[in-house]
Amino acid sequence: MARFVVRRLLVMVAMLFAISLVTFLLFIVALPNGNPAALIAGRLANPAEVHLITVRYGFNKPIWVQYIKTIANIFGGTAYSYQSYFNVDAEIEAGLPATISLALGAGVIWLLTSILFGTLAAIRAGRYTDRVLTVLSMIGVSMPPFFFGAILIYYAGYKLGLIPLSGYVNITNPAQWLWHLIAPWITLSILFVGIYSRILRSTILDTVNEDFVRTAKAKGLSQGQVLRRHILRNSLVPIISLWGLDLAQVIGGGAILTESVYSLHGVGYLAYQSVSHLDTVTLMSIVMLTALAVVVLGALTEIFYAFLDPRIRLQ
Amino acid sequence: MGPRPPARRSPRSRWCRGTYPQSLDPGLDYTTQGAEVNWLVYTGLTTYAHKSGAAGGGLIPGLGTALPVISNGGKTYTITLRKGLVFSNGKPVVASDFTYTVERSLKIPWGGSGEFIEPVIAGATAYAKGTAKTISGITTDNATGKIVIHLTAAYGPFDNVLAFPSLGLIPAGFPMTVQATSPPPGVGPYKVTDIVANQSYDVVKNPLWAKEAIPGIPSGYDDVDVKVSSNISANTLAVLNNSADVFDWADTIPGSLLGQIQSQAASRYHLINLGGSTYYVFLNASEKPFNNQLAREAVVTGLDEDAMSRIGSGTLQPACYFLPPAVPGHPTAPCPYGTPGTGNLAKAKALVKQSGMAGQPVTVWSETRAPRQQWMTYYTSYLTSIGFKATQKVIADATYFTTIGESKSLHPQTGFADWNQDFPNPVDFYGVLLDGNSILPTDNENFGQTNDPHLNSVVTKLGATPTTQLSSVVSQWQALDEYTAKKAYVAVFGYQKFPFFTSDRIIQSKLVYQPIYGWDFTSFDLK
Amino acid sequence: MSLIDPAPAQLTDGGLPAELIAEAAEVGPGVGPYQLAWRRMKRNRVSLAFGVLFLLIVLLCLLAPVYSHDIAHIGPDAENYGTIKVGGKTENIVSLIGIPIGPTWELGHYFLGADENGRDVAVRLLYGGRNSLEIGAVATLITMVLATICGLLAGYFRGLTDGIISRVLDVIWAYPAVLLGIVLGTVLEVHGLGPFHGTTLLSTALVIGFVYIPYVAKPIRAQVLALREREFVDAARQQGLAHVRIMVSEILPNVASTIIVFIPLMLANAILTEAGLTYLGAGVQPPNPSWGTMISQGINNIPAAFSNVLVPGIMLVLAVLSINVFGDGLRDALDPRAKIRLGKDTASVGELSH
Repeated sequence: MARFVVRRLLVMVAMLFAISLVTFLLFIVALPNGNPAALIAGRLANPAEVHLITVRYGFNKPIWVQYIKTIANIFGGTAYSYQSYFNVDAEIEAGLPATISLALGAGVIWLLTSILFGTLAAIRAGRYTDRVLTVLSMIGVSMPPFFFGAILIYYAGYKLGLIPLSGYVNITNPAQWLWHLIAPWITLSILFVGIYSRILRSTILDTVNEDFVRTAKAKGLSQGQVLRRHILRNSLVPIISLWGLDLAQVIGGGAILTESVYSLHGVGYLAYQSVSHLDTVTLMSIVMLTALAVVVLGALTEIFYAFLDPRIRLQ
Repeated sequence: MGPRPPARRSPRSRWCRGTYPQSLDPGLDYTTQGAEVNWLVYTGLTTYAHKSGAAGGGLIPGLGTALPVISNGGKTYTITLRKGLVFSNGKPVVASDFTYTVERSLKIPWGGSGEFIEPVIAGATAYAKGTAKTISGITTDNATGKIVIHLTAAYGPFDNVLAFPSLGLIPAGFPMTVQATSPPPGVGPYKVTDIVANQSYDVVKNPLWAKEAIPGIPSGYDDVDVKVSSNISANTLAVLNNSADVFDWADTIPGSLLGQIQSQAASRYHLINLGGSTYYVFLNASEKPFNNQLAREAVVTGLDEDAMSRIGSGTLQPACYFLPPAVPGHPTAPCPYGTPGTGNLAKAKALVKQSGMAGQPVTVWSETRAPRQQWMTYYTSYLTSIGFKATQKVIADATYFTTIGESKSLHPQTGFADWNQDFPNPVDFYGVLLDGNSILPTDNENFGQTNDPHLNSVVTKLGATPTTQLSSVVSQWQALDEYTAKKAYVAVFGYQKFPFFTSDRIIQSKLVYQPIYGWDFTSFDLK
Repeated sequence: MSLIDPAPAQLTDGGLPAELIAEAAEVGPGVGPYQLAWRRMKRNRVSLAFGVLFLLIVLLCLLAPVYSHDIAHIGPDAENYGTIKVGGKTENIVSLIGIPIGPTWELGHYFLGADENGRDVAVRLLYGGRNSLEIGAVATLITMVLATICGLLAGYFRGLTDGIISRVLDVIWAYPAVLLGIVLGTVLEVHGLGPFHGTTLLSTALVIGFVYIPYVAKPIRAQVLALREREFVDAARQQGLAHVRIMVSEILPNVASTIIVFIPLMLANAILTEAGLTYLGAGVQPPNPSWGTMISQGINNIPAAFSNVLVPGIMLVLAVLSINVFGDGLRDALDPRAKIRLGKDTASVGELSH
């Protein structure tokens, strides 16, 4: 067991470094002259300025030295963005409230809705309700979130004035906070509901045929009890683990499109801005954070499964 | 008599910005978003009048007792610091703080230092290189407050350089690295607090300012909450519905909302040409096809500035002259190639044929953001319609100017360029953008690589004239600008009109539209 | 009605869908799995209908030049800032404050309106569709080919090869897909990589195709790993067949159905991703039209001419929806008992483009 955990941790660490290295190298390729000195100097730069910046940031050192220094800065909390020289940790912290609010709220909504839809579709499998829910799910996964967001903003926002058009309000003002997040929550959830409800439906229908269900029925449990106690509990397990991974991704800045269309200046939006500004350091930090969150959650899930099911440990 | 009601907190005006300033640390910032705040937080030895229109381009003494005394053929500037000044943290101001401020701007480095400080002030280059411990060209005496600055050569706009917020005094000893969330204290009517990276900041009144009693610089009325949101339409509607007070003039109001604004809020919306910015396309006179005068004339003749104005939501004022109206030297004579706002396509086609450049391939360089990209899309199809083989190349905004500045390797033929005045002196435009002597192999700003001996010599000659004596050479600048228009080194398509839009909580009559900085925060008074 | 006593149409005691049992009865010897699949497909009328819809959309887009030359008499890049006559009245194509004209519903005459550069939306919609579909197809091709190769090599050779390939795939997959897309797209746009620069459709297709390789490669690898254990592979090795021969002639046919099932899924995904990347500025560059550029330019101009958002958006959703429904039916036809594979290796499609 311990070896299993340690191995996973080592893999996780190696992965983080690999991702950061890839990002770092990609930007070396992208930036003119391989470093952002000219960009930082801005318009009206003269060679003296550019040289000053190069020396100050260490862009004239070998690539591997720069990489190590950057990683050290990121882990030490002393990384600064190229564009405005903000402390990267401070920037990410500034974006976290919006992103976490978006992620958790949407996460709860999509999970509950998926469970509802998926279970309903499974119970009424083959019937009208199932078909309608399937169509809705399919539309949900076929729609770009920013398109749906634009529709919501235009019709519910401009035309009807029901929702605010953009922005994030701090939770210190709960009513406004909620009102500004409803549309983003719905937009982000549409996609996930489409997928999760269908997965749940399939899993439930498969579980129904398992032996333990027939045993339960033979034991005389009522339909509702079998549903809750056995079927749902088994079917929900894969959904929950997926949910954890997806949530980690969104918190780590994966919901870029939704944050952009609603102008929620969260971590995703920050990641996107840092790409536009060719701000390597900020991007590396965010990417590593996301990967860390996803990998940690993934590893925890696996450890949890391994703990529950000895067969997996031996793989 | 009942108990007195508790004192009300001073109301704050709420601003929506579309873009976060580069930095609220003046040692780094070289953007209009930043300067708009920083000039009220970091007053320089000189500063600008708090007035609308051309008067706002005039210099007044800031932390100095009077405008500098210029001597030694324009190479020596002497100024005395006012007595009794303190920074916003209470620390007294001394003359040597000026030297430290300049050194810090060089060290960080400030975006304009390469143009306005390093080659201008004697000893600055050595300091920037690290071979000198201090800038030898600046001498100060803390006892008398006297500051003497020696320049490498006569530089006419130096008074204006002293007014840059980046040369606004900060205390010596403040760290020489950018402090983005806790910028240095300054001397000014306002100070900045509560900086949240990329999201918001507060601009609050400096309680120590009233005692400074510097004439010509008001103290301001209310504090300001600034929030950054990239959804411009939402910002517009917020101001329209009075849930925010001020719209960022550097953003463009979407055309579709203009109707609503005109009907509901016409009294608080003004589209103003500050007169300080020119939008143009450069034409590279050292490369085919624009090395041919007729080819360049053709471009200017047929360009339909009206179409471009529509693309820009009606905010462009069609024009032909390189110097915009707020800069002395802007010509009054009619345009040489037809009234701007129409385009004579037939004539343009004929000129292209005549030049022998028909069918030449042309790459049009363009930024990504709207409406600049759309302007260049139109320009590309226009060039094709008059006989060239034009293709558009879109470059990410962050790297656009750096890319087209690679003059040695790239030789860009034509593309978008703009310039917003640093100060109302033509040297700011010509010296940087058209002077043959300023062509650099990289980080070039003379994108068209214009190298006209007549132009170069006039700029050099007139560039030494101090700003305070500009009126004596205005006609010569006008003549030069007319010459440039005739030579068609650039095809100007317009001056930008900016939207100045506020809620009805703001008292309109007190507003000041500063030609250099846009809004003047000190003029905002909530009802 | 209830799960435990389900309707007879769906589940029976044997655990097999009744349809399959019925099918088994009619199937005789010599009916291969693909013929079976085809029969099942034919029964799924909804899925077929959407497949036809998709073909219609493709056809319509391919006919773009016809519409442009013969009906509308205007190209996708032609700009017009003048006036046209609509229903007797003279209107500005682009108003003085930059608002384009809405749909005129007159065929060939700014049928769906104009955009802010005075271009005909209907013409751009069709040409844009061509580009979007082309990018989608090329991206899908890249993904499927490379993922199959990776999956085959990793699953067959195992050991070090598998180790390297899997780790590389893991690193690619650990990056959020959209973020990796914009990073690569921006790198290509700013700097380019050899012949690839941001202004070509090919580079966008390349980026999209690359980003999803792990998503397909991992299930294929898993399947190949399982197949590798089977006796026929050992038999083939003993016969002295070369590795490549075995992979291609023995293993590949067995993963073929998996591959086929992934194709519509990745195509739908590629089209959606193109729209997303372009919205963020790292995909198709102007003036090339694509559904993505049209939607994002439309969004930047809200609330003027919202039709410029709706028109390309609805077109895109219809195309992707029809691919998805058809793909779903295809999956059911090829392997009706296939569960959606859930495991630590397969992430949900949800992460792919939000």
